[in-house]
Amino acid sequence: MASVTLRGIRKAFDRTEIIKGIDLDIADKEFVVFVGPSGCGKSTLLRLIAGLEDVSAGEILIDGRVVNNTAPKDRNIAMVFQSYALYPHMTVARNMGFGLRAAKTPTSEIDRRVGEAAAMLGLESLLQRRPGELSGGQRQRVAMGRAIVRDPEVFLFDEPLSNLDAQLRNQVRTDIKKLHQQVRTTSIYVTHDQVEAMTLADRIVLLRDGRIEQVGTPIELFTCPANRFVARFIGSPSMNIIPAQIDDNEIVLPWMRLPTPPLATRPTDGRIELGIRPDDLLTGAACHSVPEAYRFTAEVRVVEPMGAESQLIVSVGGQDLQLRLMGRLFPKPGERIACALDPAELHVFDATTGVAIGQRHISLQ
Amino acid sequence: MSTWLSRQTLARKQAVWAWIFLAVPIVYFTAVRFWPAVDAFSLSLSRWNLVGPRHFVGLENYRHLAADPVFWQVLGNTFEYLALGLPISLFLAFVIAYQLDRVRTGQGVLRALYFLPHLTTATAMAWVWRWFYQPAPVGLFNGWLSLFGIAQQPFLRSTAQALPAVLVPAIWAALGFQVVIFLAGLKAIPRSYYEAAEIDGAGSWQILREITLPLLLPSFVFLFITTSIGLLRIFDLVYNITAGGEGGPLNATKPLVLSIYQSAFARMDMGTASAQTVILFVILLAISLLQMRLLRQR
Repeated sequence: MASVTLRGIRKAFDRTEIIKGIDLDIADKEFVVFVGPSGCGKSTLLRLIAGLEDVSAGEILIDGRVVNNTAPKDRNIAMVFQSYALYPHMTVARNMGFGLRAAKTPTSEIDRRVGEAAAMLGLESLLQRRPGELSGGQRQRVAMGRAIVRDPEVFLFDEPLSNLDAQLRNQVRTDIKKLHQQVRTTSIYVTHDQVEAMTLADRIVLLRDGRIEQVGTPIELFTCPANRFVARFIGSPSMNIIPAQIDDNEIVLPWMRLPTPPLATRPTDGRIELGIRPDDLLTGAACHSVPEAYRFTAEVRVVEPMGAESQLIVSVGGQDLQLRLMGRLFPKPGERIACALDPAELHVFDATTGVAIGQRHISLQ
Repeated sequence: MSTWLSRQTLARKQAVWAWIFLAVPIVYFTAVRFWPAVDAFSLSLSRWNLVGPRHFVGLENYRHLAADPVFWQVLGNTFEYLALGLPISLFLAFVIAYQLDRVRTGQGVLRALYFLPHLTTATAMAWVWRWFYQPAPVGLFNGWLSLFGIAQQPFLRSTAQALPAVLVPAIWAALGFQVVIFLAGLKAIPRSYYEAAEIDGAGSWQILREITLPLLLPSFVFLFITTSIGLLRIFDLVYNITAGGEGGPLNATKPLVLSIYQSAFARMDMGTASAQTVILFVILLAISLLQMRLLRQR
């Protein structure tokens, strides 16, 4: 097992720079998820760590050793590909033993290790089948088996669940988490799905446009997003962003005024954005738990019942707000309902730069 | 008709239209290709000089062929074209395609250059190569040999060298098509297979043996069949490259199809020509069936 360190990593294809300077320390045994929208460079970064691409600048260290010029096979890594990359003409057993055969491992040892990995993943009965005879979920497990068999120092996962249907995805996600708790191998996992990132990661690295936006535990990113982009990307449904103005000691919203919370800095032009997660928009009786100044009424526009809860879009002062209503009862469109902003959960962003300047960032600094 | 057609189901209507369009080629193929082909079987049991009446002679034509040493030489030549040409051309085509697949710059130009001979007519090519093989100072190859002080070679004038000399332009001409097929097969192998193998530490030999070659098997089988058929039917190249179109010297380069041509249109012996045609048909059928069985075993 090993740590992974990235120092000033840059990568350009022809003249287009994809990775624009990444510094990151990944501790031994840690499960780190690279997440971001498509084109953010997360897969490229993984391929750089794997050695499938050369870095344009910077250093990659695995277990304290610079591996920039080390061939992929000598980096002691294993990778699970988005397409699984299983060889269609080989049985599951031969697929899983491919890397060991390449390393000239004795046949008895290959059989033993393939058997162990198969047992861990529940693949024993499938060892003599070909990938074409397996379901998507089974193929995914074989791909993981091939990685486990090699007993690497680092696991690399490149969007391993994106070819599975929604239900199976949840199940395999749990399996991956269990597996990591069992083997504790340092893992780097790439996904565009923030739910996967939240549920799997010890730490999330949120990337955009070849740069790191924020690194932290899932809860840190959820509760203290460093900027508007992180705030909108993490959490589902996305955080509501309300344009506002700071006027002396008040925040002026399109429909009401609020007392200004403590701020790290004040934008010179006074233009800010107020963020509030759908779960922190209170309705009904819960509104009484916050001071009068934070309460208002809004008109219900859209109701999306989900069973145990409903998602509502309400409108106030020309602004649409998304909120979540627990329970099986919900209002009808057109009704006016009492709402309130939870003052403890307000996020404040500089409208120009998008950087968070709210109270949480004061306590963090 | 339109009222009858309008009452039919959609699938039925589509089928009717399909058959209407297919009728023309079906009639053509039946009249011009299938019927004469079937007729060749009965013709092979007859004696006919193209103008007079046909006489049924039973297996006389086949008996006559079996007793003819030239026919056995021709059959031997035909298989020699196959036995030499098939492995050499497939090996060369694979090596070229494999290397071409790794080249980034100029791949399109190189591919076009390899494909060019495929577009050239065999007749023109045969005459150019015929000139290549002439003695110095006319011939290109002997010109080179004399440049390095190496003895002149007879090439097309030698019974030993003539057949390989004819085969070289045949292989060269077939290469373009084969390379393109192999390249398409290679490009269809996902890059992630190679990347996974690279991470797993497989060497280039293991990758070639365990990944590239097995996944290229369909391309190999396809080219095996088409190249075999092409080599067994070799004609125009031999006809144009050998003196007088005789398949010489001393029948050393004469393939079965040229022999059929000579029987039919030089000696006006349609019966013997048809008998040889039937034999060629049986050989082609046997090879195709064998190869299809080999493919199905996988």
